[in-house]
Amino acid sequence: MRGGGPGRRGRRLVAAGEAVYRALLRAYPRDFRSRFADEMALAFRDASRAALEAGRRRLAAAWLRFLLDLAATAVRERVAARRAGALHPPLHPTTRRGDPMGVLIQDVRHGLRALVRRPGFAAAAALTLGLGIGGTVAIFAVVNAVLIRPLPYPDPEQLVVLEHHAPGLNLPDLENSAGTIRLYRTHARSFSSIAVVNAQERNLTGGDRPVRVSVAEVSPELFDVLRVQPALGRRLLPDDAQPGGPRVAVLTHAGWSARFGRAPDIIGRVVEFDGVPTEIVGVMPEGFAYPSDETVALLPLWVDPNGPFGTFGLTGLARLAPGVTLESAAREVEQLQARIPEIAGDGGINAGFLERAGWSASVTRLKEEIIGDDVATALWVVLATVGFLLLVACASVANLFLVRAEARRKELAVRSALGATRTRLAAGFLSESVILGLAGGALGVLLAAVGVRALVAAGPAQLPRLHEVSVDATVLLFALALSVLAGLAFGGLPLPRYLRGPLVEGLREGRGDTGSRERQVMRKGLIAAQIALSLMLLAGSGLLLRSFQRLRAVDPGFRPEGVLTLGISRGERDGRNDPTGFYRRVMDEVRGLPGVQTVGVTNALPVLPRGINGSSFDIESRPRAEDALPPVAMFAVVGPGYFETMGIRLLEGRPMEPRDHEGEIPRYVWVSRSFARDFMEGRALGERVRFGTDPDWLEIAGVVEDVRMFGLDQDIRPMAYLTLNTRTVNVNLSVGQLVVRTAGDPMVLAPSVAAAVRRVAPDVPLTAARTMKQVVAESMAQTSFTMIVLIVAGTVSLLLGLIGLYGVIGYVVTQRTREIGLRIALGAAPGEVRGMVLRQGMALSLVGVAIGLAGALALSRLLESLLFGISSRDPLTLAAVTLLLVAASALAVYLPARRASAVSPMDALRTE
Amino acid sequence: MTPRRPDPYALLPLSPAVFHILLSLVDGERHGYAIMREVEARSGGEVRLGPGTLYGAIKRMLEQGVLEEAGERPAREGEDERRRYYRLTALGREVVAAEAARLERLVELARAKNLLPRPGAA
Repeated sequence: MRGGGPGRRGRRLVAAGEAVYRALLRAYPRDFRSRFADEMALAFRDASRAALEAGRRRLAAAWLRFLLDLAATAVRERVAARRAGALHPPLHPTTRRGDPMGVLIQDVRHGLRALVRRPGFAAAAALTLGLGIGGTVAIFAVVNAVLIRPLPYPDPEQLVVLEHHAPGLNLPDLENSAGTIRLYRTHARSFSSIAVVNAQERNLTGGDRPVRVSVAEVSPELFDVLRVQPALGRRLLPDDAQPGGPRVAVLTHAGWSARFGRAPDIIGRVVEFDGVPTEIVGVMPEGFAYPSDETVALLPLWVDPNGPFGTFGLTGLARLAPGVTLESAAREVEQLQARIPEIAGDGGINAGFLERAGWSASVTRLKEEIIGDDVATALWVVLATVGFLLLVACASVANLFLVRAEARRKELAVRSALGATRTRLAAGFLSESVILGLAGGALGVLLAAVGVRALVAAGPAQLPRLHEVSVDATVLLFALALSVLAGLAFGGLPLPRYLRGPLVEGLREGRGDTGSRERQVMRKGLIAAQIALSLMLLAGSGLLLRSFQRLRAVDPGFRPEGVLTLGISRGERDGRNDPTGFYRRVMDEVRGLPGVQTVGVTNALPVLPRGINGSSFDIESRPRAEDALPPVAMFAVVGPGYFETMGIRLLEGRPMEPRDHEGEIPRYVWVSRSFARDFMEGRALGERVRFGTDPDWLEIAGVVEDVRMFGLDQDIRPMAYLTLNTRTVNVNLSVGQLVVRTAGDPMVLAPSVAAAVRRVAPDVPLTAARTMKQVVAESMAQTSFTMIVLIVAGTVSLLLGLIGLYGVIGYVVTQRTREIGLRIALGAAPGEVRGMVLRQGMALSLVGVAIGLAGALALSRLLESLLFGISSRDPLTLAAVTLLLVAASALAVYLPARRASAVSPMDALRTE
Repeated sequence: MTPRRPDPYALLPLSPAVFHILLSLVDGERHGYAIMREVEARSGGEVRLGPGTLYGAIKRMLEQGVLEEAGERPAREGEDERRRYYRLTALGREVVAAEAARLERLVELARAKNLLPRPGAA
């Protein structure tokens, strides 16, 4: 059974569902229940377990069906029981005590009638709650799928990723090399198995035209580490991963579906990856998505057991041995770092070198590695945000209930006079509010189902596990619990106020309404709380908005406007085959198009870099001491016209020319401003450098402006730009990004650019064309996603808070009409009256603002990691938000204040 | 109530749910969830009974004397929970046969009008 069956969590889920179902069975008449309830609960459990075997989605569907079945048949049995009862009327009226469910049904019916009598009130309350619950449930669905639900592998908490860090070399995150893998496989006792993974892209030829796909080279141990076996065919075996071994591949389910239409005869078929004929030997089960959702195939990876220590870039994925904790594994790995000099073998890597490099190793759980701290923080912040919004919504509805309580005092008094106990009255109110809560919840689940789809479509591409997001049984249970809780909360809050004191008082005419003041205090408290929550949400939105502005104001070092990009995937084999000639032909063809100004090519776009590499290098004029750390820079390969097209300013030296890219031996290199500054005190022109183990010394022919290669919010790192004829082994030339500067809207030219490339290279896969502005926007997607959610939640909660404030002050004015009339009759000027009401309203709002400011400051640290270039306690933002709230509440208070000052003393006194 | 043996034809036509439940009991007695599973499997997933529908129908059929209880026992050996088993009465068997015959006559009628391929013609 895949994933080891439903497991303990599944059984608990079914048990919880059964408990709820048993409670709901009380909807049937007593007679029916006593005969069949146990049997029905058993059937429910059996059916739920069977459904769970087929997945949680199936379980959710089954439960939904059972719920509808229950609702429909309960009504039917009740009607039938009543008909039978009408034929044989009981001698005594139903004894209430004996049938609590009957009482509850009556209460519910009463609650329903009360709600139906005031449809406007019911609709407003249900809508408010629906918004709050819907938002919370939608975000919970995402949090559940991304953060809570375990990875779809057996014992996922044992899966860890091994990493290294060398901040002293400017390499904060290094993965693994053949050397480190050898070190751990030989000496580490903490792991039951260690796999090596290398995510790549390849051109896949299986149909008529090749496509660019994501693949992963994996060592065969991956199947032991993840403990997942293929659904079809066989796994990769150690023999597959020997040099000269068979060319085989295991497809992922996604790859099998998307590329081969789930052909049942796929096993044994031969396809080509980058032109290498490869036999498909297996297909992974559905849901397997490692290393990413996009992975199409797993290819065998041979890790040279005598490979070098210095070439990093391999992902090390391990499974902890039984009983080994993360901490003890991390300790062992840290201790093993002392043996690196003996593993490395090659010169220069001794204890002193490691110390100056700040060398360390870390062991991280796979789930944390996949999700990342920033995403987790952003999701929790967003969930907290919508949670706040739900609180505000509950406060609003509680307030509506309080207003109604005024109107219903008389009804309460009558019912109590007729013998209703306080418990019965309370049950009546609670059933009313829980019905509202459930109605809101139903609306909320609908909204959430729509919202989840929108979120998945609009969510930032960096959000991992996004494909797993769905409204499943857990989410439905969460929604149900939330609805009932919300109903109890806003219904229960005002309850003591309703029922305290002699209820019969309500029957008396006139103003002797003693409970009224207390109710006012409670309403005011709710309003202040709403304003406080609104301020906290708006402060968060404001901070993110300002970060976003700062991010947009960052000079990226290039001009994205008017630039179109298009990826050309030549594949590993073709990429090194005369790139200069190939791109010259492509660029000549594209340059001839009308509307095209300049054309360039690179292997790594700024802001969202892929295929960018770092390397140590030597400077000819400054020989390095024996054990000194070498300088390290990042480098990209660019073609002629790249700097002009991207609008990257040349600061010194000469522009690139086509002949710089020709010839067997590269002679020149261009470097960035920070490269020249950090390594050559700004005098870089004419210096000669050599990268890694390259044969060529390159002369620096120009210095260009710094570019934010790694994202607008990331630091600038020194860059070198190599020419197309580079002989550096580290460079990935399989994908070229064509960049085209156009006269008008770049997207208009996209089809003709693609067609021009096809004329030169009909068989090469192209990626969809994008504008550089889109690329930049995509790099900011996570910030903008969080920001939009916060802004929407902040605005909605502000509106709810203002409406509440307006309502309370308006109500106060109505209550005090007589007093106000008296004051005016006694000579108070309208301005004074207005001032009095304004003061009262504003005092309320200022209390809320003060609490909100304190809360915003207290919670500011949560946001810290999401902000850029701004403090989480930025005084300007907090001041602006405070002002906004004060101004908005002044408006909400001013309207009733004006009404108060217009009170005619005669009318006011006459109402008595 | 005086036990009077009712005319099986008076109970026709049966609702699809009831017909399926009776059919599932023709082979022998079953408990509730077993009936649900059998009906779903036999109808190719087309008829799915919820517990409410199932026991509502069982209640009425017990009252009509079509079904009877066949005692309680665990479904599998070693299980704690006892399940109540149901079986057809003689009347139940007549009713389900009568319904099947009625449906057969309808199918014949449809064939006569060339709505369906004749058996063996395909």
